[in-house]
Amino acid sequence: MVATPDIAAPSAPKQSFLNRNRHYVLLAPGVIWMVLFLIVPLAMMVYVSFWTQTTFAIKPDLTLKSWATFFGSETYFGALLRTLRIWLTVLFLTLLIGYPTALFIGQFVRNKTVQTVLLVACVIPFWTSFLIRVLAWRPMLGKEGAINIVLQKLGLIAQPIEVLLFTELSVIIGMVQIYVVFMVGPIAFMLARIDESLIEAARDLGASSWTIFRKIIFPLSLPGVVVGAIFVSVMVLGEFATASALSGRKVNLLGNIIVTQVGSLKWAFAAVVGVVLTVVMAAVITGLLRIVNLRREL
Amino acid sequence: MMELHGLGKTFGGKAAIADLSLRVEDDEYLTLLGPSGSGKSTMLRLIAGLELPDTGRIELNGEDITTRPTHLRGLGFVQQNYALFPHMTVGDNVAFGLRNRIVDPVTDETAVARRVGEMLELVGLQGLDSRMVGQISGGQKQRVSLARTLITEPKVCLLDEPLGALDANLRERMTVELRKIRAALGVTFFHVTGNESEALAMGDRMIVLDEGRAIQIDTPDAVFHTPASVRAAKFVNAYNILDGKVEASAFVHGDQRLALPTGAGDAAHYALRIDAPEIEPAGTTTPAPGRASMMATFVASEFMGSRVVHFFKCSDGALFEVERHLSRSDPVEYRGGEQRLLSWDLDSVLLFDASGRRIAAAQTKGAA
Repeated sequence: MVATPDIAAPSAPKQSFLNRNRHYVLLAPGVIWMVLFLIVPLAMMVYVSFWTQTTFAIKPDLTLKSWATFFGSETYFGALLRTLRIWLTVLFLTLLIGYPTALFIGQFVRNKTVQTVLLVACVIPFWTSFLIRVLAWRPMLGKEGAINIVLQKLGLIAQPIEVLLFTELSVIIGMVQIYVVFMVGPIAFMLARIDESLIEAARDLGASSWTIFRKIIFPLSLPGVVVGAIFVSVMVLGEFATASALSGRKVNLLGNIIVTQVGSLKWAFAAVVGVVLTVVMAAVITGLLRIVNLRREL
Repeated sequence: MMELHGLGKTFGGKAAIADLSLRVEDDEYLTLLGPSGSGKSTMLRLIAGLELPDTGRIELNGEDITTRPTHLRGLGFVQQNYALFPHMTVGDNVAFGLRNRIVDPVTDETAVARRVGEMLELVGLQGLDSRMVGQISGGQKQRVSLARTLITEPKVCLLDEPLGALDANLRERMTVELRKIRAALGVTFFHVTGNESEALAMGDRMIVLDEGRAIQIDTPDAVFHTPASVRAAKFVNAYNILDGKVEASAFVHGDQRLALPTGAGDAAHYALRIDAPEIEPAGTTTPAPGRASMMATFVASEFMGSRVVHFFKCSDGALFEVERHLSRSDPVEYRGGEQRLLSWDLDSVLLFDASGRRIAAAQTKGAA
């Protein structure tokens, strides 16, 4: 006796809606989340940036006025350029300081425990609040701060150096210190993954240490550099706290403008700056991802 | 020609290599057989310059290269895991040494391309230069790794278990290929392996390494037929080795008394190639004159295609293997637990003294 399989029978009951569209159902939570919390707010921001702003009210009558103000004003357009300049400087400096640090942790320290200890040591400053870390730079860099006192005591300078605090320089110093660890982490991770035998093979094939770094170690750590650069870029481009705390409000970044405009209820103008910032970040990330195919490398 | 003089290296108080002396000739295929932990990899790393020896010298064509950095030695090292550069194409991997070596780099890209092409053809990978390393098979990676080393024209090419990661089929093909490639280039291959059949099949000469010491350096044929020590006999994996002692001109092993060839001295190990014994018909209790014998209990058989290996248990529980080639006879079925008399020619017996050294006189013809 053979039982007829009823799976393929044409008279099978109609599959339920849920069954037929199972993959869409599974996708739905993610899609709904993204639409609700990413697409809609972004669209809203773009929409609001075209609203009409008067001193005390905001009306949904579409106008280009806010956009014209942003690109027409020395102050606001200058802030965009300053943001880009500070971002590039900080990115360059975090890479310059972060890469050798990561190289040391990831390549020269071969003991996994020591590696972990060193990486944790990099993170320890994060156990204090962001504001404290930023404000701690004031007594360091000030006119009567630690650096000036030490330099004067050593007789290296007669007058305190005033450019140290409440300038673009202090903002850059503060940002580099705060964000360099986000560069070190991903790079050290990629470097630690490089198989020792690759370096031995290269050495055996007659390559010098410098060549090995250029042709093997650096290219293999590039995904880490890109990930680190994305971290640093996203955080620096949206920064406002370091800039206001260490520049005495003299250095205005796009983030600072958003904060003050929202504070004075100028929603339309804040939205313009927000859109500009989003576009800049998207362009930066796209550009960085062009350097290396992260999906393949990680 | 490369010479090692009294090379020694200890790791954490334990000798990985001890007093190793060796002469590697030009244009030869030298294999090194050693079980894992015998110091094989350490020895290669010392020669390649990836580790420094504690004692001893390494000379290459009369020059002392003991402390010379790896990249100036002119030796090739094919690593066990291939160590291909994952971010480069096959062609760039092979060209790496030519382009980037510190001594005499090749800057002319047409010359590089020509030589890479030639080398890929030699290892049978023509046309694959633009593939990424991740897109080729294990066997191809092995060949790329070999090509990458050979293109730098090393004086000696060190191969660390080159066939270890390949499947059986591929391994057999590469065995032939490696010998062919070596002969074509006339370069010395120093091939390290833990697999006795590989070491026996491929080497012009072979070294048996045990606990950091070379216990025998000879042709594979000589190592196989007359292992210098009981450890060497163990490594070629073709001997039954019985432990016991000589008493009243017989070798006592458990409750069995085995006949001895002349000049047995005070043998402590009695070794017999696994294809030497005959399994006597059921009921036989005494062997033909001039043959040694032993009663043993049949355990199981393992069919290997062209041959079959029968496993017997000696009276003291030790396993005793008997190999039969099926081209000569049909397979015979035995019952588990069956007692059989195993007998063998006294000429085929090898004896080793208590320190493990072979007693040479045991070679002489004639039964006791």
